[in-house]
Amino acid sequence: MSRKRIINVLLKEWQFLFTDINSILLVTLLPLLIVGQLIVYAWLGVTFAGEAALNIGIFQNALANLQRATPIVATLSGGEQFQVLLLSQFNLFMLLIPLMISISVATFSIVDEKLSGSLEALLATPVKTWELLLGKALAGAIPALIVTWICAGVFLLIVNIMGWGYLISMVMTPVWFISLFLFVPTITVLSFLLGVIGSSRAKDAKDAQNLIVFVVLPVLALIAIQVTGVIWLTTISALLLAIGIAVVDVIVLRIAVRLFQRESIIVGWR
Amino acid sequence: MKIIEAYNLTKKFGEITAVDDLSLEVEKGEVLGFLGPNGAGKTTTIRMLSGIIAPTSGYAWIADCRTDGEIERLHESIGLLTETPGFYEKLSARRNLEFFAGFYSGIDVKVKVEKYLKIMGLWDRRQSRVGTFSKGMKQRLALARALLHEPKVLFLDEPTAGLDPEAAQEVRELVKKLSNEGRTIFFSTHNLAEAEQLCHRIAVIRNKLLVIDSGQNLRHRFFRREVIIRLDNPGGTIAEAVRKLPCVEDLREETDRLILVLAEPEKNRPELVKAIVDAGGRILEVSEREHPLEEIYLKLMREEK
Repeated sequence: MSRKRIINVLLKEWQFLFTDINSILLVTLLPLLIVGQLIVYAWLGVTFAGEAALNIGIFQNALANLQRATPIVATLSGGEQFQVLLLSQFNLFMLLIPLMISISVATFSIVDEKLSGSLEALLATPVKTWELLLGKALAGAIPALIVTWICAGVFLLIVNIMGWGYLISMVMTPVWFISLFLFVPTITVLSFLLGVIGSSRAKDAKDAQNLIVFVVLPVLALIAIQVTGVIWLTTISALLLAIGIAVVDVIVLRIAVRLFQRESIIVGWR
Repeated sequence: MKIIEAYNLTKKFGEITAVDDLSLEVEKGEVLGFLGPNGAGKTTTIRMLSGIIAPTSGYAWIADCRTDGEIERLHESIGLLTETPGFYEKLSARRNLEFFAGFYSGIDVKVKVEKYLKIMGLWDRRQSRVGTFSKGMKQRLALARALLHEPKVLFLDEPTAGLDPEAAQEVRELVKKLSNEGRTIFFSTHNLAEAEQLCHRIAVIRNKLLVIDSGQNLRHRFFRREVIIRLDNPGGTIAEAVRKLPCVEDLREETDRLILVLAEPEKNRPELVKAIVDAGGRILEVSEREHPLEEIYLKLMREEK
């Protein structure tokens, strides 16, 4: 029965999401803009900074880490090494796509129910809190995930078109795959769960968005520490991190259920 | 057989006591009118009974389910029409109902949705977005939503509030129909005439339960029964003759009529009529004063102040 109820929530959310032109544009256009931006940054970096960028201290650390993880990079020219360094960071930037979508979609999930007055009727059905929250989180997370994977494909395609295809084998390391197929799903679910929590605790959509913005910070921190070479994700550490985030997902779902106070939502919100 | 049992239900929000020590019982198939001014605790009581909020103290059973324990089972047994009939306005009427029906076990969603859209007269508009519906249509749709799983108990929170007279009448007709089907209905309203028309018993609340009884019994409790005799030839010795009767507890004269309080109205009437006729009175009409429920309600509210 739980699966049926979760799917029921999920299908309604999708129908709701895809009847709204703003949501459609957000889910399709925003990710492409992020990919486009990444490509432009890479092009600017390679064209105008090139090998000289490697003289900057933070890139030296990162390059040393990259060469340890993928020794073949050391055989490339300085400019190409910088290119590989930039492109290999972009899998982490991809994490921003589901985060951005969740900020806009998940934060409205409960607030919208409150505003329309449908929440009380919904809570008078036999739906369990965790079924409702998981259904809502997955409804946003699944399209965000699919779009992120499509964007990764688009990114690789454009990299090929730009004539950098011969570097792709050095970018698509096991960590790249772990990042795309383990980090992205777990962080997507996490960000949507946090979005739903924000939505259920907030008094309005703006309040909810302010709360969810904090989810972006750890991801930005992860990107920053990798780019600056403070840490470098290896296959093992990436796998462990992905498992850790999955565990956090389960814990956050439990927390979300605890924080979803039916009474304060219904009574305290008019 | 009792289907709603509430014992000492109390709900506090901080310092404010919204509902205080409320106990009541409702029989299966009964329609209970739940009256009270704004802020009297009607909606809070309904929310406690429907398991949406927990009482601060006290407990309740609905259809053999504890309202603070077996929430999912409880929600399979009750239908709730909330004060605001919230829907997903961008979705069709049919899709809205299918969504809500999808949470209940053992029901054929498509069959039930079709059944209740037809009953509520909304079948022809099933594909229309709910956002295009009038208030009355939304209320009928909300009633359909509350009935989809054939609940044992139906909670209606001010179902006619804010509706135009025609739409309100439509909703009342539907409630009457549901009552005739033998459903137990807990009916919160401000409209006293509506409560009297639809409900077997009436409960009046102002944070605590003030009274609960049938409309007729409430009249007898709060007002003395008055017999009104309209005469063709008032005056003369008629009033004097009537006043001498031992069964007459009080007598007032008003233009062409005598207003009397009798010890036992049904039993004393023949004796009274005989006395008037013997005194030369020509009786045009014998009736009993019907105090509207509103008078009882206002009296109760004044007493509470």
